[in-house]
Amino acid sequence: MENVISIRNLTKTYGKKRGVSDVSFEVHEGEIFGFIGPNGAGKSTTIRSMLGFLNFNSGSINILGMDSVKDHERILRDVGYMPSEALFYPTMKVSEVIKYAADVRKVDCREEAAKLCERLQVDTSKKIKELSLGNRKKVSIVCAMQHRPKLFVFDEPTSGLDPLMQNTFFELIKEYVEQGTTCMLSTHVLPEVRRYCDRAAIMREGHLIKTDTVENLIATSAKNVKVTADGETKEYMYNGDINDLIRELGGQHVENLTIEEPSLEDMFMHFYEGQEETK
Amino acid sequence: MRAIIGQEFRLNLKSLLIWALTVGGLGFICIMMYTSMEGDVMEMADSFSQMGAFSDAFGMSTLSIATIGGFFATEVGTVHGLGSVMFAAFFASSMLSKEEDGHTGEFLFSLPVSRGKVITAKGITILVNLILFTVICAVLYALGFVCLGEEVPISELTRFLGSMLLMNVEVAAIAYLISATSSKNRMGLALGMSLVVYVYDIMGRVIPDMKDYLFIGPFSYANASEIFAGMDAPKYSIPVAIVVIVAVTVATYIAYIKKDLAS
Repeated sequence: MENVISIRNLTKTYGKKRGVSDVSFEVHEGEIFGFIGPNGAGKSTTIRSMLGFLNFNSGSINILGMDSVKDHERILRDVGYMPSEALFYPTMKVSEVIKYAADVRKVDCREEAAKLCERLQVDTSKKIKELSLGNRKKVSIVCAMQHRPKLFVFDEPTSGLDPLMQNTFFELIKEYVEQGTTCMLSTHVLPEVRRYCDRAAIMREGHLIKTDTVENLIATSAKNVKVTADGETKEYMYNGDINDLIRELGGQHVENLTIEEPSLEDMFMHFYEGQEETK
Repeated sequence: MRAIIGQEFRLNLKSLLIWALTVGGLGFICIMMYTSMEGDVMEMADSFSQMGAFSDAFGMSTLSIATIGGFFATEVGTVHGLGSVMFAAFFASSMLSKEEDGHTGEFLFSLPVSRGKVITAKGITILVNLILFTVICAVLYALGFVCLGEEVPISELTRFLGSMLLMNVEVAAIAYLISATSSKNRMGLALGMSLVVYVYDIMGRVIPDMKDYLFIGPFSYANASEIFAGMDAPKYSIPVAIVVIVAVTVATYIAYIKKDLAS
């Protein structure tokens, strides 16, 4: 499987402040790749370095087989990017923004844009300044998809979208991915990753701490244990022998005990908290 | 690049028309006032020309404001000089920084266009707008002369407005560099800079010791009174202006290409 994105030892600092350090991962062709992490973890810094908004200190970024610095303009022809803040020129009409994006790309996207506007229920006659965040997001989706790119890069795409539109949005992604597009999805919303992504990477404090299939991230020997004993309730990830756990609990008055497979949220917290809660 | 130029032109058309019609309109009104003030101006002309450094500073020792040419140079010259330099600074100072300030940079720079091309496209927009500004003002000034039944001093007017355009380009180039290095709107700084270069020119003409350094300032070669009196621009003033324009334009490209864009 070919790598659509290949990042090697990416380091970016903002003066003395941390950005990202020694980040390496690949995104394969035709997959939906989740990029997870809390605020300030370095997700946006990585994406902004990929797209040339930031000049990174060291490392290399290869997108669609091209160097992100040398072939920046050529790469962007085949990338559809949706920023977390969908902001456009406020005095322009929606139709003008969509046409402007197509004109700069020198591509006739009218047919695809009309189809997307219909699916997403975008009112193209309105001015940008009249739109809510959700409606601006929809315009941003149209601008990112109308030229049928080879790679989508979405940064917090669903914030502001109502649940119905979120569904339509993911349906669209799946349709494009079926036709060969690759999708990188940066998000806080873990159920989205669990439901739609093939693989995911977890960022923490500027470092990439885990990249794997979503299935493998969830499938682990660790169990989520919730126990109420001696009047006290505790919840933690347990990674040891289950017999040792039973022996440990044997000396206590157990009122309630739940042992279950961890969710992606539990795994995320497990990675994020540096396994502090794991016994 | 053509799409960006067209887009910028559409976005700034209203602003261009407001500035050009205001400055040009003020100039037109000044010209129209000449007839009603002609008698009074005759009496004042002698005393105005004998006010020493003050007369030098405003060109009244070079030309008589009792003539239409002298009146135009001293009155409209000042109005156009100040108005156009403020427009140039205002227009160029936000051209690049507005993308980061308005958070539209991520949209623009996710499109397949290099930062160099964006700088070129927006730079062309500034230049075209400054030319249009000058043309609109020129038409209004010429109309003023025609309305008064005076002959339009085409060669002086062309040289005056051409020099003013060069001065506007020089100030706009500096303001464009300010715009490239900042992620916030620095209109105040740019407008302040445009007033400083104007004051520098006035001081250079009032203070004898500063006269030798007058050529550094962009107003030195665009002095309406000297142009209407047929005098040459100070030696080196135009080459200095060209060097400044080229140097700050190169610095604009380097600074903007190297900078991290704010989200």
